[in-house]
Amino acid sequence: MDVKLKNKYDVIVIGGGITGAGTARDCAMRGLSVLLIERFDFAQGATGRNHGLLHSGARYAVTDQESATECIQENMILRKIASHCVDETDGLFITLPEDDLAYQATFVESCQRAGIRADIIDPQEAKILEPAVNPSLIGAVRIPDASIDPFRLTVANVVDARIHGADVITYHEVTELIIDQTRVVGVKMRDQYTGEIREVYADLTINAAGIWGMLVAKMAGITVNMFPAKGALLIFGHRVNNMVINRCRKPANADILVPDDNVCVIGTTSDRVPIETCDDMRVTDEEVEVLLTEGAQLAPALATTRILRAYAGVRPLVASDHDPSGRSISRGIVTLDHATRDGLEGFVTITGGKMMTYRLMAEMVTDLVCKKLGVNKACETATTPLPGSESKQSEEELRTYSFADKAAEGRHGTYTKEIVKPADELDEALVCECEGVSVAEVNYAVNSQHVNNMIDLRRRTRMGMGTCQGQLCSCRAAGLLCQGNHADKAAADLADFIDERWKGMKPVAWGATLNEAQLITMVYEDLCGVNQFVKEGGMK
Amino acid sequence: MKFDTIIIGGGLSGLTAGLALQKAGKRVAIVSMGQSTLHFNSGTFDLLGYDAQGATVSHPLEAIAKLDANHPYSKCENVEALADEAKALLAEMGVRTTGDAKANHYRITPMGAVKPAWLTIEDYASLAEADKLPWKKVALVNIIGYLDFPTKFIAAGLRKLGAEVDVKGFTIPELEAARKSPTEMRASNIAKVLGNADMVKRMAAAVNEQIQGGNYDVALLPAVLGIADATLSQQLKDEVKCDVQFLATLPPSVPGVRVQTLLRKRFIAGGGVHLTGDKAIGGVIEGGTLKCINTQSLTDTCLKADNFILASGSFVSGGLNSNYDEVTETVFGLDVNAAEGRHGQWTKYGVYEAQPYMEFGVATDEKLHVKKDGKVINNCYAVGSVLSGHNRVKMADGTGVSMLTALQAVKNILK
Repeated sequence: MDVKLKNKYDVIVIGGGITGAGTARDCAMRGLSVLLIERFDFAQGATGRNHGLLHSGARYAVTDQESATECIQENMILRKIASHCVDETDGLFITLPEDDLAYQATFVESCQRAGIRADIIDPQEAKILEPAVNPSLIGAVRIPDASIDPFRLTVANVVDARIHGADVITYHEVTELIIDQTRVVGVKMRDQYTGEIREVYADLTINAAGIWGMLVAKMAGITVNMFPAKGALLIFGHRVNNMVINRCRKPANADILVPDDNVCVIGTTSDRVPIETCDDMRVTDEEVEVLLTEGAQLAPALATTRILRAYAGVRPLVASDHDPSGRSISRGIVTLDHATRDGLEGFVTITGGKMMTYRLMAEMVTDLVCKKLGVNKACETATTPLPGSESKQSEEELRTYSFADKAAEGRHGTYTKEIVKPADELDEALVCECEGVSVAEVNYAVNSQHVNNMIDLRRRTRMGMGTCQGQLCSCRAAGLLCQGNHADKAAADLADFIDERWKGMKPVAWGATLNEAQLITMVYEDLCGVNQFVKEGGMK
Repeated sequence: MKFDTIIIGGGLSGLTAGLALQKAGKRVAIVSMGQSTLHFNSGTFDLLGYDAQGATVSHPLEAIAKLDANHPYSKCENVEALADEAKALLAEMGVRTTGDAKANHYRITPMGAVKPAWLTIEDYASLAEADKLPWKKVALVNIIGYLDFPTKFIAAGLRKLGAEVDVKGFTIPELEAARKSPTEMRASNIAKVLGNADMVKRMAAAVNEQIQGGNYDVALLPAVLGIADATLSQQLKDEVKCDVQFLATLPPSVPGVRVQTLLRKRFIAGGGVHLTGDKAIGGVIEGGTLKCINTQSLTDTCLKADNFILASGSFVSGGLNSNYDEVTETVFGLDVNAAEGRHGQWTKYGVYEAQPYMEFGVATDEKLHVKKDGKVINNCYAVGSVLSGHNRVKMADGTGVSMLTALQAVKNILK
């Protein structure tokens, strides 16, 4: 997608994760002119590297009432405004024989205080509701957890920001904040493909770069005390459970199992890591072992289920300004007005929080921005549906859909209209057979969802996320993405995609996963010679 | 039931061994799960494409002499003679090829890259030199809607080598009909649709329409013809008004399935017993000798033979397996050469690095005898990809190792 930029905006939002996308949308809906800048692809950081859990807030109820209340309120809002991204599964908090059943009462009481429905149910009933649950459970509480697709959610926010006039640019990294005396007046950004630097100006720059936000702040000479906390997760080859399964005890490692689309995800671990490692998170053998051992406690079937991949994200935890030692770390939302905090005008930071509280974070920072810019318009994001969630497709219409159309409906909601029954019937051909991705869906993603390469395409469509991990579809999609005289770029992208798929398989490369990896290598390196197209150094 | 030799595995190495033993008058059975890595075949066979440093090999025999002692070729007494024998065996079974072990030639991959090859099946495109095409003007003709033959990449590769390339598309009503089901557009399904002389006649007419007036030196087509033998691909060559050659597609590989079909047919016609869809699950070993084997289907019989050949392939074929901490041979639990303990030893971070697991496989003595608990089993030989000591992806030696070790094992048995 070609993007024509203005020279000057009301606001620049740095970071195309869910917080940045949501903030761009909110600002645009309040009538501001907005530029959203993402250094790689949307949802490439922590947004796309978590459970995909729409927390009920129950997990935080005992330890952090404020977070719990935020969660349940946002949970209910997202079910309405982002219905095509949410799978309303409900969840269980189970007590195992080695856990203290007395905790259950505290838990339920805390949930109710935060406004979270929490029903104690009989362990027998829990087994009927969720047959995958550890049958030795001695207690169960049903709560309104759900599953949410962060890739779809981010793209829906981006699309709506654009509908409201925002400009959006990906693969551009902010390298410098342009400072005029005591005011940030714009940014310099570098095109990751060409290395070209350009300047853009704005009255206000919003730092929504997640953990990398501490580096963005540093460009202005400002210290934001952040503590990168790595969380590792495993994806299993199919959807073992239909409800979210949590452990009813003080939050610990690997105690949440979430059903996401055709798979399920166990996580997480939590370890402090240096900021320098955040661009290249590697899951360790120890983390895999913890996740597997603890995961099998929630659902014993996990011990014998194929693991598709491992991945890790970094939570942007922020230390309170009054405690630079970092002992009192909050998981809450942090809005920093650097004018009052540091004497630097035109620059605010939004960080902390959770993927699923992004809307509230966006509202808080946009309120601040509007106040600073003298704009008087109320936030409407809590009630305005995202593109794709305006209405449910009618049953009648859905019945005419093919397998791939139905799969696409889950991904794009009402926007599936742009995909089904394409003008050229050749476009009905399937690219990805595991996930039901058609040529038409690939074309739609390329034409209207900022797809620059295969990995972006995967985030938009789930192509290559199924059990074969891209064995057949990769080459087909690469052929479709290959435009004009850019075959070498498309081939290099394919080589990168195969490598990216492998990196998630490597930490769990034994059994069927190792066999699959060998098969992919035999097809793409032995048969096709795709390794010959690897570009040294990759992007500039 | 008693056989001279029972072979576990019906891929290229198992069939090669079976046919060679049959030629020596032996009574042979093959236990085969069905699919094999021939289904990823490129229309060519390789002996050694790259040396240990990753450099392209132009003279395989010379480069093989320099391989280290762990490589399976070190257990082949006379590589050149075995290579010639392999080529002759293929020809006898109806797989005619060009090329020989003295000098590699080159193939064009489905991504338009160029890779070394030892033998190329007669109707497939090949280059004598890596950087030079035998044609100036090329028609690259695909079936409309067939995605497993990415013409943009292939055209780019051909243009890099100096060719003038026109990309063309054709279809016929039967292919249009097949396309209605989106999963039907795969090479093997298309080969079935185009599976008779009448269809090929119409295909030729459609191709002729596309190349009309273009003065092409060659029409390059996806390998979607002739899953049983070369008759239909030959017919197309005869009826299209310029030279026609085929290029490999993404899997499933029609040339690979053709090779497997031809070899299996000849094996059965020669009196061989082919237990298709069955799986060896263990055996009785007494005093260093394998007495008989059990299979999944024949639950109450133990199949006896004087000799056994294990041709069960690597991880992808099920000959090897792994769990959280160890690599195992799946039929008998034989000794394997593999890094002990998975942690950090099996894999490398980048997918294109040489992956240690690729070299894992069963341990054998100089005569290709397998071992269990450190003791040699004197009548059981391992051949092909189940062997340790080579990386078929990095060295491009997979089919060579399969055929040559199979022929060597047969010689060891017959001695």
